[in-house]
Amino acid sequence: MDNLPVKNTRKFKTEEHYNNSSSYHLLPFRFHRITSFKEVLVNEIGDFLLVPIGTAKAIITKSFTRNQNEELYGDLMANFFISETPIPELLDVLAVRYRTRKSFLDYFTSLHIFVITLRCEHTCHYCQVSRVNKDIDAFNMQKHHIDAGIDLMMKSPNPDITMEFQGGEALLAFDKIIYAIERTKVEASKYNKNISYVICTNLAPLTDDILHYCKNNNILISTSLDGPDYIHNQNRHRPQKNSYELAIDGIRKCRETLGEENVSALLTTTALSLKYPFEIVDEYYSQGFRNIFLRPISPYGFATHNDNKNKYETSTFLDFYKSALGRIIEYNLQGKFYREDYASIILKKVLTPFPVGYVDLQSPTGMINNVIVFNYDGKVYATDESRMLAEMNDYTFLLGTVENSYEDIFYGTKALELSEYWLNETLPGCSECAFQGYCGSDPVFNYATQGSLVGFRPTSAFCQKNMEIIRYLFELMDSDKRIEKIFKSWIVGRT
Amino acid sequence: MPKLLQLLKRRKVNCKIIDSTIELLIDESIYSVDVLHKCFYWYSSGYDITILRSDIADGCLQVQISPKNKSNEFEADCLISRIKQDLIDYKLRDIVTKETQSIRELIIAKAFAYYNLDTNPATDVSDPVGFNPNHVNG
Repeated sequence: MDNLPVKNTRKFKTEEHYNNSSSYHLLPFRFHRITSFKEVLVNEIGDFLLVPIGTAKAIITKSFTRNQNEELYGDLMANFFISETPIPELLDVLAVRYRTRKSFLDYFTSLHIFVITLRCEHTCHYCQVSRVNKDIDAFNMQKHHIDAGIDLMMKSPNPDITMEFQGGEALLAFDKIIYAIERTKVEASKYNKNISYVICTNLAPLTDDILHYCKNNNILISTSLDGPDYIHNQNRHRPQKNSYELAIDGIRKCRETLGEENVSALLTTTALSLKYPFEIVDEYYSQGFRNIFLRPISPYGFATHNDNKNKYETSTFLDFYKSALGRIIEYNLQGKFYREDYASIILKKVLTPFPVGYVDLQSPTGMINNVIVFNYDGKVYATDESRMLAEMNDYTFLLGTVENSYEDIFYGTKALELSEYWLNETLPGCSECAFQGYCGSDPVFNYATQGSLVGFRPTSAFCQKNMEIIRYLFELMDSDKRIEKIFKSWIVGRT
Repeated sequence: MPKLLQLLKRRKVNCKIIDSTIELLIDESIYSVDVLHKCFYWYSSGYDITILRSDIADGCLQVQISPKNKSNEFEADCLISRIKQDLIDYKLRDIVTKETQSIRELIIAKAFAYYNLDTNPATDVSDPVGFNPNHVNG
C-alpha cells in the first residue's frame, strides 16, 4: 500500500484563484480596422475576434482587465490572444494548429502542369502565349519531353497528384494527351500514385471521341466562360466569331457525357468585363453553374511595371468584384445556392483551421511547393505565370529543363534563391499585417508588376486587392448575420 | 538642455511645415526607429521620407515628409492626424511583436519539429475515484 501513488483529486479552488488574473501575457496577434467602429484581432493561427475600435490598444497596453468585460476576457483566453501564464499551458495545441494551417506543405508538389501545345485556333487579345498558327507542329510537346516530365512527376513525394494539360488549346494536341495519360497510368501503378487528370480547353475542337476518352479516364474538363456572348466573343477572338456558342455547346456535351460535377468554367476578367458584373454573374447562373471564380485581371502584359495604372485597374476591379459579389449574395438570399470561389478560398482560411490548396494565396508561396510547369519545349517553370513571362523573353523563373534531375529543379540554386521571397511572414508590409495568415506571397506577381521579387506593398495590386477583399468580407459578415450564414454554406457546400 | 527643447521633448510628436515639407520631431523613447520605419513605409509611395537623428533635440528623431509630385500634395492637418494614428498603431504592433517573440518562435519550432509526444499527459491527471490510467498494464 505504501507504494501507491498519491491520489490526485479535483479540488475546489478558492475565489481568489479565479480572480487573481488582473495581469496577463500577450500571445502573438495582429489587428486591422474593418470599419469606423470595428477592428479585427487575428492571432498566429488565424482565429479572429471582431471587436470595437480601441480594444487592441486596451489589450496591448494592459489597460484592459477581466472585470471590465468578462466575456471578452474569456474569448481572448480561449482563442489564444492572451495567456495567464508566460508560456500558455496549451502551447502544444497552438503548435498543432499552426502546423495544420501549413499542412499544405506536408506532401510537396501536387499540381503538375503540362503545356502540351502552344498552338491555338483562338487569337485572344490578352493571351501572352498562344498566338501560334494551329498547323505548326513545332509547338507541340515532344514525346521525350512528356516522358521526362512524367518521370519527374513520379518523383514527387506527394501520393495525390494532379496532372493538368494546358495550351495554347490543349485539345489540338489530343494525341499527345492520350500518349501522356497512357504512360502515366503505367508509371502511377508502379509508384503508387493517385492521379487526377484535368484538361484546360476552350472546347472549340471537342469531338465525341475526345469526350469518350475523357469519360473512360475520369478526366475533368476546365473551360473558359467570360460571360454573355457579347463579352465572351469580344475577349476570345475566332475568325467565325463563335467562341461563345462553341463553349456553351461544349459545356452541354461535357455535362451529358462526363456528369455536371466534372465540368468547371473559369472567368477571365478583362477591362471589358469590368463594365458587366451583374450580366456575368447572371450568365453563369443561367448556364447552370452554381459557382463562379471572379478572378482579377492578369497583370502579365498590359499592366506591367506601371504603378498608377495597376492601382487604377485594381480599384476598378474591386468595384466590379463588390458589385458581382453583391449580386451573388442576392441569389443566396433568395434561397438559391451560388458561390463565389475567391471569397470561399479566403473564408475557408478565416472560418476553419485548415489551409486551402490555392497557389496564389499561400505562404510559403505555391510555386514549386505546390505547382510546377513543364512547358511545351521541355523547359520547367515555377508557375504558369512564369512561362508567360518567358514568352516575353524573361526567364527569371526558369528552373531548368525536364532532363535535369529532380533535386536540381526542386531543390536547386534557383529554387533556393526564390525561397528568400516566398514567405509573407518575412516581407516588409506583410510581417505585421493582420491578414497575413489569410493572404499569401506571390514573388512572380511582384516581379511582373513591380520589377522586384520582394515587391513594394504600398503600390502593390496584389496587396491592395487582397487587403480590401478580406476587409470587405469581414465587414459583410459583421453587418448581416444572414450573409455570415451564406458564407459558411459556401465553405461546407450546398445547404 | 535649453528650455525650448525640454518643452519639445515633453510632447511625443512635434510638427513643423516648411513649404511643402512636413518635419516631425519624434521622441525616440516613445517611438523607436523600428516603429518609424514600419509606419512611414506605407507613406513612401506618395512621399519622399527621410528619417534622421535630430541635431537640435537629444533623443529625438526627425522625419521629413515631402510629396513626390503635385498630385500627392497634402492637407497638412489631415496627413499629420493620420500619421499620429498610424504611429500609435505601429507602436502597438511593435509591443506585441517584441513581447511575444519567444512564444512565436516556440510555436513555430514545436509545429515543425518531429518529436514524440509523451505517452503520459504532462499535466496532473484528475482522478477522483482513485483510478490511475498510468498504472494500467497494457
